[in-house]
Amino acid sequence: MMREIYLDCAATTPVDPRVLAAMTECLEREHANPSSSHSAGRRARALVERARAAVAERLGVPPATLVFTSGATESNNLALAGMLAERGGERAHLVTSRIEHKSVLDTAKALERRGVEVTYVASDPNGRVPPDAIAAAIGPRTALVSIMHVNNETGVIQDIERIAELCRERGVPLHVDAAQSAGKLELPLARWGVALCSLTAHKLHGPKGIGALYVRDGVPIAPLFHGGEQERSLRPGTLATHQIVGMGRAFELADPAAEAPRLAALRDRLAERLLALPGVRLNGAAAPRAPHIASVSFPGAEGESLLLALDGVAVSQGSACMADSPEASHVLTAMGLGDALAQSTLRFSVGRFTTEDDVDEAAARVAAALARVRSLAAGAPAWCSA
Amino acid sequence: MEYGSEVQRLFAAPLHCGELPPNVPGLASGEAEDRTQPVWVRFQLEVAEGVVRRARYRVFGCPHTIAAAERAAEWLEGRPATALAALDLREIGRALGVPAEKLGKLLRIEDALAACRRSLETRTELNDGDTTD
Repeated sequence: MMREIYLDCAATTPVDPRVLAAMTECLEREHANPSSSHSAGRRARALVERARAAVAERLGVPPATLVFTSGATESNNLALAGMLAERGGERAHLVTSRIEHKSVLDTAKALERRGVEVTYVASDPNGRVPPDAIAAAIGPRTALVSIMHVNNETGVIQDIERIAELCRERGVPLHVDAAQSAGKLELPLARWGVALCSLTAHKLHGPKGIGALYVRDGVPIAPLFHGGEQERSLRPGTLATHQIVGMGRAFELADPAAEAPRLAALRDRLAERLLALPGVRLNGAAAPRAPHIASVSFPGAEGESLLLALDGVAVSQGSACMADSPEASHVLTAMGLGDALAQSTLRFSVGRFTTEDDVDEAAARVAAALARVRSLAAGAPAWCSA
Repeated sequence: MEYGSEVQRLFAAPLHCGELPPNVPGLASGEAEDRTQPVWVRFQLEVAEGVVRRARYRVFGCPHTIAAAERAAEWLEGRPATALAALDLREIGRALGVPAEKLGKLLRIEDALAACRRSLETRTELNDGDTTD
């Protein structure tokens, strides 16, 4: 049986055993509703608040600014729809980019159907959204700017510091989707002065189904759901204590200063081996990139076939949220790649438990699969590689 | 993306993937592409005495397209060249469990085979079994 190698940590990560232990202990011992006022409820509430404090400490923000959600997708929905509802409603204007995660783009499109005007700023060929282009898109009715910190397909880091500065100068709140960057890069939310920031636990070895939205003190947003006063009424519903405990532990353990150099070394080791193969190219190579993601194009090898030929190596053809879509990646095509080359692209992403042996073995298997899939298309016209 | 066991089997062993020597008698070639999908297909048929002796293909495309091309090539070999018109890629697609949104890719196989058929018609292969050209 071939050993399975997991290089899809941008999609999700294996739960750290220490996170699992904290969650298991919570499930075994603390079953009470954290909103109950009896002693068991108060114990559960204490666990929730301890976890909130752990996440907040990692971000350098007050614990009370964090609202627990089901994950970054919900946080992005809450940020965009909640802010637009409070600031201008249907007459409002939203600025975002063409390379955002679908949970932002599809929410923006839903808002457009309600009458909200949305400007989608283009990226440059390296996948960076120019801050000046965002500033130019801001108008008098702009209620929110939403830009991701790290692109989930390419790993390219956006210049949030500069974008935040430009937004601040114009008095427009900024939402940052930090699903891919939390735990990998420092997130100085207070220094940046962002209004809203989406977080999730499962990208940093925490459990799935739990995330948070940072809402800076005084920033007005409306809830998506109704029916309770939990999370300052912004996210009603019984709190998932064990999930929250897991998220808190995951954020305690995820120290970018300690982990990022090792992840970057693994990513570069893998990229070096892949780029030695004929014609292979790294996307966003000239831009600053997060330490855990490498987006690699394999001209002449259709990506879905390459993925299937690559049995035993878990990687993605772009975003996991679009895995069943036959369409080329909107991120890569926005960066100027042709449909064929975008379809010939795989995302490799490493994590805490990835080893050098893993990346070496994966690179060897990619080389074999690439040769096989390219041979199926021998003699194909040049556009199949462009 | 989910793949049925038959798609996986055909993708793992595409026995008819390749090409025929350019000087083989009765050779018919046809290509088709759709850059928006993106997919490219080339088929080559060796026809002798009105019968498809060998079928070979190349594909730039997804596993479903490769599996369908393999199945089409399997089906064609040994059949009269007139059977080309009866080959139904939609039926192959259904049998392989190809998702509806991918059927357009499979139709490029049909287009490539139609080009083969036109090539044969100009040489009367389909009409009288004459293999000289």
